Amino acid sequence: MLSIHYDSSFDGFLSSVFEIYRQHLDVGEFVAERSYETEQGTVSADLFMQPFHIETNEDSARRLKRAIVNAASEDVLSLLMAAFRSEGAGVEMGILAYLRKLFAGLEPNYAKNPASAEMLPLFKLAQSVRHEAGGMLGMVRFNKSPDGTYVAEIEPKYDIVEMIVGHFRGRFPNGRWAILDSRRGYGVYYDGRRTNFVSMPDPVAMSRAIASGAPPDEFTRMWKSYYDTMAIKERLNPRLLRQCLPVRYWKHLPERQQSLAGVEVGSGRGEKRGNIGFASQSLPSVVAQRNAAGAMALPSHA
Amino acid sequence: MDLREKLNILGDAAKYDVSCSSSGSNRCAPKDGLGSGCGAGICHTWAADGRCISLLKVLFSNACKYDCAYCVNRRSNDVPRATFTPKELVDLTLEFYRRNYIEGLFLSSAVIGTPDYTMELLIKVAKELRLTHHFGGYIHLKAIPGASSSLLYEAGLYADRSSVNIEIPSDAQLQYLAPEKNYASIYRPMNFLAERKLEYNSERRLGSRFAPKFLPAGQSTQMIVGASGETDLQILKLSAGFYKQQQMKRVYFSGYIPINADKRLPVITTKPPLLREHRLYQADWLMRFYNFRHDEILDERNPNLDVDLDPKAMWALRHPEFFPIDLQTADYEMILRVPGIGVKSANLIVASRRYGKIRLEALKKMGVVLKRAKYFIYHPDTPANLRRLYPEMLRPLLIARPKPAQLDLFNDAPLALPSSAASQWNVVQPPKLALPA
Repeated sequence: MLSIHYDSSFDGFLSSVFEIYRQHLDVGEFVAERSYETEQGTVSADLFMQPFHIETNEDSARRLKRAIVNAASEDVLSLLMAAFRSEGAGVEMGILAYLRKLFAGLEPNYAKNPASAEMLPLFKLAQSVRHEAGGMLGMVRFNKSPDGTYVAEIEPKYDIVEMIVGHFRGRFPNGRWAILDSRRGYGVYYDGRRTNFVSMPDPVAMSRAIASGAPPDEFTRMWKSYYDTMAIKERLNPRLLRQCLPVRYWKHLPERQQSLAGVEVGSGRGEKRGNIGFASQSLPSVVAQRNAAGAMALPSHA
Repeated sequence: MDLREKLNILGDAAKYDVSCSSSGSNRCAPKDGLGSGCGAGICHTWAADGRCISLLKVLFSNACKYDCAYCVNRRSNDVPRATFTPKELVDLTLEFYRRNYIEGLFLSSAVIGTPDYTMELLIKVAKELRLTHHFGGYIHLKAIPGASSSLLYEAGLYADRSSVNIEIPSDAQLQYLAPEKNYASIYRPMNFLAERKLEYNSERRLGSRFAPKFLPAGQSTQMIVGASGETDLQILKLSAGFYKQQQMKRVYFSGYIPINADKRLPVITTKPPLLREHRLYQADWLMRFYNFRHDEILDERNPNLDVDLDPKAMWALRHPEFFPIDLQTADYEMILRVPGIGVKSANLIVASRRYGKIRLEALKKMGVVLKRAKYFIYHPDTPANLRRLYPEMLRPLLIARPKPAQLDLFNDAPLALPSSAASQWNVVQPPKLALPA
């Protein structure tokens, strides 16, 4: 069994698949060589797998893309790309399993079935990646730096920067702006004519540089106070708020930053807290607690 | 008064307007300008009450000459008043837009001077944004009832969406609560805009690509729920009429929040009818995306929506003759009517069923809410005990049970359990706590 190491790009993954077919490799897992930490990790979990590095080859990636489009469709290719961006554990193996079945051609119309055992999880994954990318169009917050560049820092769950750049290029074609993913240490800079990818190996330093280079200004403060007035206090609904705007995004939204102090984040599931809290405690256990408290209080009373 | 204070006063005055959609208009950024329209609409943030904020929603002015009972800005209220200048508002919109705080501008206003004068001010702002600054973002302009047709038409050339609020779901109640308004004065601008939009659409369809765009995102309206005594049937009927006749894109419901003490209105301590509003929106969704007619959801015998059950489940329980349906063969329209199956899952089911049997497992993975759907569908895995269920047996199964709540350890008040639960479990009162002082 081989542990396939590749450069974490989609083309790199496709080149690996191409080599797997060409050399009849026996694959156990994929390991993407990323410069940042993901939940998947960069080291193989299995000691007994043999690492096998595959170089990205654009030509073979292109051939494989064409083969996917011919066997399935453009939509399927873009769906696979979206699912791949989730960087989820085992997504590569999922895509490989789908491709194997697709190219085997044993089931007629396999490519058209969105609910097949291999496709459905990828479909759901792509859905949630696209959902985050769509939501992020509204949640990017630019700050103006003194030289007139608008800079935004984001930390999306999935690797979606490339998916949202087109939208902002269409929206601000004459301005200069940058969107930087400080979790993954890279981003895009648009200079008024074209977009350039920029990377910074140290995400913490990157985050600090953004904060000092483009600090919040008077408009940020006006936006915050406007945001606070917009809530109708008779209708306050913290649960709905968290459902629509998960706590993990608050860090880079100026209007929610001050509320962040009151919530525990960091543990990933932070947004689930608060409401569940005590509600899961059953009635008997609560009664038992009260009795215990009562019993403790008795001696001092006597 | 500085700009920030004005923004707070006029934002606060506009917050009771529900509409905040930025959908329905696709536009590329104009040459030398900024801003585009996204057809699906983009939410930029959510306020603490869970409502989305996508447009900079402000009044141009809140110095109103009318005295509507339900409104926070009425003449007889003692609230701080402010008025923007067009330039302030334009700068604010552009700067917020560049920072990607907003998707565009939602501009409404209290009536200052005459309706025509107010409308002119709103148009001035929109015109300056579009023509001077080449702004391509979303603009929602309120049509002021009583403004002249030529001004309404001009507003339609610059705005993406326009709206006139019907406010109260019946004419008699509207005239009672808002003496200066009546249905005729509200329907007139609505109908005018709807007709111009139709003309524009036909012109475009005939091939005139250069016909000036007119309200690309259509019209919307809003009504207050719970301020006067209308039934849900009346409300749905009215909104169904708006969708059909005025070709409205959206009808919004706003649960009445008592702001003013007025003897014509519910008392000031009334809670806003949030659940009723939610049920009305669910019914509205059924009409817009699920091919339900308003008289299918409610009729004369059941004029109000069920508080415990969603309207779709309510319909399904009233029509046991259609169920259970076979997902393998049923029409798409029928699958849509199963409680627990939405548009996305219905599409998935229809697209995938020709390649194999749909099993329970797959349904769960597709995102079908089996908790509700399992009683209404027939498939090979259906357990025998679910195959013949009567509406009377189903109702209690579908109603969500109340969530258990945490008891307060340090409260001497007796346990407040529902009477039925108390009799069932025969709860013994725990001894009262006696903590040392």
